[in-house]
Amino acid sequence: MKLRILLADDHEIVRRGLCALLQNHEGWEVCGEATDGREAVEKAKQLRPDVVILDVGMPNLNGLDATRQLMQYDPNFKVIVLTITDSDQVIREALDAGARGFVLKSDAARDLVSAVEALQRKRMFFTPRVNDLVLAGFLDKGHAISRSEPPSLPTLTAREREITQLLAEGKSSKEVASLLNLSTKTVETHRSNIMRKLSFHSIRDLVVYAIKNNIIQIDVPPQLKTPAGSPAV
Amino acid sequence: MKNVRLWRSASSQSPATDRAPIMTIRILLVDDHPIVRQGLKTLLEAHPGWEVIGEAADGLEAVDKADRLHPDVMVLDVTMPKMNGLEACRQIRQKAPGLEILFVTQHDSPQMMREALEAGARGYVVKSNAARDLLEAVEAVSQHRVFTALNRRDSVNSY
Repeated sequence: MKLRILLADDHEIVRRGLCALLQNHEGWEVCGEATDGREAVEKAKQLRPDVVILDVGMPNLNGLDATRQLMQYDPNFKVIVLTITDSDQVIREALDAGARGFVLKSDAARDLVSAVEALQRKRMFFTPRVNDLVLAGFLDKGHAISRSEPPSLPTLTAREREITQLLAEGKSSKEVASLLNLSTKTVETHRSNIMRKLSFHSIRDLVVYAIKNNIIQIDVPPQLKTPAGSPAV
Repeated sequence: MKNVRLWRSASSQSPATDRAPIMTIRILLVDDHPIVRQGLKTLLEAHPGWEVIGEAADGLEAVDKADRLHPDVMVLDVTMPKMNGLEACRQIRQKAPGLEILFVTQHDSPQMMREALEAGARGYVVKSNAARDLLEAVEAVSQHRVFTALNRRDSVNSY
């Protein structure tokens, strides 16, 4: 029986590349694709894939929160997180969320097949940097990881994080309500609670918070009008 | 070999296209993410007559391969290590003015698009829409027409 994989990334061109890579492997099939975290969660529940591959930076619901929702629904889901950055914070959140694999997008052509194979053998797959961080945290009882944590803020609930992402993406309360099948009044209550918890007074504060906490990700263009090369993003 | 014209086989779907020419386009693909190159390649090579003749992972390699391989069209990312796509574009346009350059980038920005065209590119496509816009864009720039499509305004200008 074939290993069934669900693939979620908001860029069709990336999904095509990942599909080509995975379908080339004998005995594997991509049983479904999703363009955001919300669709990924729905399709995972419906299709029951053996492995779920989730991009972190997706609209509507990011890959980390989608992982949290899936693990809450059924801890037997096997999730590989794909990310453009292996910052301490993203690694920690991916591990906390319950991901069993962590692959950098830039290394996906090299690492993704190994990661799926590892999960197939009921093992985990992490980049060397994740292994270093976990080991350092183990040896130093978590201090190696916690040193790089941002200043602590009150914890948002899963629903509040979902709403934070949608608001930070520029959606109105009415649009959020429609997406989440809630009343506009309920969304506005959540919105007030979020702002109160975080002591924020504007949406701008919320956007900055969402970026800093990997709830949304932004593209950083190279500096324009420069003759020299720019660093990779 | 540039833009060699072939003819569709008699098994073409529509009689109207039976004798329509297929333009061979030799493409150099430049992006620092192998998985993105794979996705773009899959899309481009599904088009009859189009061939990805080389790949590069940064601007320096792009300049070198443009010089050696003489592609008809270069599909170029903006943000790359060693040398970004804008600088690579400027250098390539000086050396090979006949080579048409199409940017495929995640930057959905009018300012970036203007910069790309000023650097000498003929086309600009946003990566999130590449599956929709890429084929039309390659076809346009290969015929030396401008093709730009930003996501936010959903504007497509082909002239």
